[in-house]
Amino acid sequence: MIATAERLIHNPVELDAWRDKVNKAKKSHSRSVRVCIGTGCAAKGSRRLYELFCEAAQEAAKHNGKSVKVQAKCVGCHGLCERGPIVVIEPEGILYQLVEEPDVAEIFRETVLGGRVVERLLYEDPASKTRARKAEEIPFYRVQKRIVLEQNGLIDPTSIDDYIAAGGYAALAKALTTMEPEAVIEQVEISGLRGRGGGGFPTGRKWRSCREASSVDGRRYVICNGDEGDPGAFMDRSVMEGNPHSVLEGITIGAYAVGATHGYIYVRNEYPLAVEHLKGAIAQAREYGLLGEDILGSGFSFDIRINRGGGAFVCGESTALMASLEGRTGEPRAKYIHTVESGLKESPTVLNNVETWANIPHIVREGGKWFASIGTEGSKGTKVFSLVGKIENTGLVEVPMGISLREIIETIGGGVKDGKAFKAVQTGGPSGGCIPAAHLDAPVDFDELTRLGSMMGSGGMIVMDEETCMVSVAKYFFGFLKTESCGKCTPCREGIAQALHILERITHGEGEPADIPKLEALAELLAEASLCALGKTAANPVLSTLKYFRDEYEEHITRKRCPAKECKGLFLYEIDPEVCTGCGICRKACPVEAITGERKVAHVIHQEICTKCGTCYEKCPFGAINKV
Amino acid sequence: MPTVTIEGKQVTVPRDATILQAAHRAGVWIPTLCHKPGIDHTAACRICMVEVWAAAAAGDAGAGPAGPGRMVTACNYPVRRDITVDVGGERATRIRRGVMELLLARSPESEELRELAARMGVAGTPFPSVTESQRNCILCGLCVTVCEEAIGASAIGFAGRGVDRAVAAPFRQASEACIACGACAAVCPVGTIQVRIHADTAEAEISPFKSRSKLLVCEECGVRLVSVPVAQAMSDRVRFDWEQFRALSRLCPVCRRKHAAASLGAVAAKAGPRESLESIIINNRA
Repeated sequence: MIATAERLIHNPVELDAWRDKVNKAKKSHSRSVRVCIGTGCAAKGSRRLYELFCEAAQEAAKHNGKSVKVQAKCVGCHGLCERGPIVVIEPEGILYQLVEEPDVAEIFRETVLGGRVVERLLYEDPASKTRARKAEEIPFYRVQKRIVLEQNGLIDPTSIDDYIAAGGYAALAKALTTMEPEAVIEQVEISGLRGRGGGGFPTGRKWRSCREASSVDGRRYVICNGDEGDPGAFMDRSVMEGNPHSVLEGITIGAYAVGATHGYIYVRNEYPLAVEHLKGAIAQAREYGLLGEDILGSGFSFDIRINRGGGAFVCGESTALMASLEGRTGEPRAKYIHTVESGLKESPTVLNNVETWANIPHIVREGGKWFASIGTEGSKGTKVFSLVGKIENTGLVEVPMGISLREIIETIGGGVKDGKAFKAVQTGGPSGGCIPAAHLDAPVDFDELTRLGSMMGSGGMIVMDEETCMVSVAKYFFGFLKTESCGKCTPCREGIAQALHILERITHGEGEPADIPKLEALAELLAEASLCALGKTAANPVLSTLKYFRDEYEEHITRKRCPAKECKGLFLYEIDPEVCTGCGICRKACPVEAITGERKVAHVIHQEICTKCGTCYEKCPFGAINKV
Repeated sequence: MPTVTIEGKQVTVPRDATILQAAHRAGVWIPTLCHKPGIDHTAACRICMVEVWAAAAAGDAGAGPAGPGRMVTACNYPVRRDITVDVGGERATRIRRGVMELLLARSPESEELRELAARMGVAGTPFPSVTESQRNCILCGLCVTVCEEAIGASAIGFAGRGVDRAVAAPFRQASEACIACGACAAVCPVGTIQVRIHADTAEAEISPFKSRSKLLVCEECGVRLVSVPVAQAMSDRVRFDWEQFRALSRLCPVCRRKHAAASLGAVAAKAGPRESLESIIINNRA
């Protein structure tokens, strides 16, 4: 614990003064280079780019003296991961994409020093063929509304000064010194904010219940759920990595509102960068006096600890997470008595997701009314989605609630990859469902997605094209849940295994007509009898695909055919004699000698020998082999 | 005190009593597997699912409840206000049947499970066996809870996750923490856990956990009494002098009774029939 006297900031006035000081220092830089070190860009070598820019800046300072002061800084995820690594040159805001090491010198010479644009590194719109200079000109960004991700990609996540300069911790100062805890809860209630982790429970109501619940030992806890585990989801990860202070500020405000003195951030261990940035942020906040005893002279004391999860998906469930925090096995318990009454260590506890917490500073600063003006009747504000799958622009997007799925997929996402036809979009991870093209114009909000048989979930959005088999999709999610179910309750443990067994039989061509009603019965059992939400929602992938793609199941069962030609053995390979050049590559590659043919004469696959391994399909350089 | 209307009968229970307790009071049977009075309920087996409505939403008695209710486990759902509970209705019965069918698929050879299924009116299961159970174990968790809570040994716990979940001692080795008390075997609803007596070595083995403990043996007839660690744990608990305890537990209950009877005859001849049998036994023991 850092003694109060040794801290940098003791009250809101000092915070404002510090902000002014940092902003003034910033102005002395004529240009700055922002290099994205989010996980996507870092995987493509952006850390090395950052080092190169730093070296170039030092070189420039040596030669040019004080006339050019260039700052290179690493920032969090920009969202357009498909086009990473991304480098932005300020103050013009020129966005370069797919930057590689050899480009650094050119960017530095032309843009940073020369003020000219390197055309070839700009984003080119595939439709209009026009090049965009700035982020705002790219359709991917134009339709988005960024609140949670506002500072992602702008600030250095390892610098508290950067966050303060951008207005950070002003909301905390406002809450602590000008608002009663009641008033904070009231603003959150007015905002209409609902939990972003998947459940969509009204945050304000949760806080109020916790504040009003009686605590035996007088303790209350706040917890940040950073155990993001849905396949294909990385929203929370990007926020924790790219703007950790916004999460800390939100949690601290929440703690003040409900009367908690201790907070925990539960992060999965698979997110090392998030852990590193959060740890650094907590240390800085303590040093600045924004965590610890008597924060900003308000008399309110609060501190946060990080706990790393061991990689169990079920630990994203609130009671399992709390059990894990207490040092027990991460297994859920019955929630007939809510965690806001009896949660961590049997004290009243508020648990919210990373994105929910990151919304709080904005709500406190701008007011609940402002937040409520965005979105739909039942779902306010924005939602961050990770857009993945068969889509052109893979990445992280933040959109206002109520936007249509079509706009997200076509305008922001740039449509289905390789010009294939859209088939379905999967939202909500293993608890969600598949929404077909017919409902693409549905507005994205909690209630609408639930009505369509899917759910908002934490924000994973997986786009599927015509070559995706929907039975296989359901099978994939059941396979995931089978290994991730904790095994405590019978329906989840046994029911998922049984359902997976049926789906495996169907995709192997061994399905029976009775399998569909059996799946539906298992789905009801899972939904009604499971102990926690993992089991209760486990059937959604199968229910939604049965609802919208029942014919595909029937095709598998009755005709033993996979219409999407994905299930091995449920379709044939054939050589198109018009296209085949008789090169013989497939004949040589076939492991069972099922292909015959003379040189330069169209070859033939003998179906009675063929094992449908697909080697010929992959090897043919002319695309002469078709799946039929 | 809230009123519970269950199968048409009304009972009043203290706040936070469970539906199962209310059902007992009303004389309504609800099947249970992972529930034992006095042991914390984990509600893992889900065989006691019932349908619940807030009393107000259920309409007048006899008129039938409005809309589907909430499915809850009777063993741990706390009654906090007036509620209506449906046990034998179509929906609740279907769900319980489904749970039983899944359990039967997992542990098809369990006599106990089949008996309970028959009582519930479930003839068999439509599901194949896709998960492996260790000697019919249904993973209800009673053994783990009783070992931790009642005995305080925590010798066994859960290993693995999902379908690989199993009850085991750490690293699936014989546990040093096990005192061979047999509480786990006593609470096991399907007979997975058994106490095996090894006559040759005078040891008790808790099967399938492999842990063995020496047994106290009657010095006179050789009958095996409790395990040594259990006796020690007991003496620790009642602050007994171990040597003294050993002297007292020299004999098995049968031999002790014989001695008591013999001395009773002698004493009775002396003192007449007025002295109580109990005091004679106690005196004799001391």
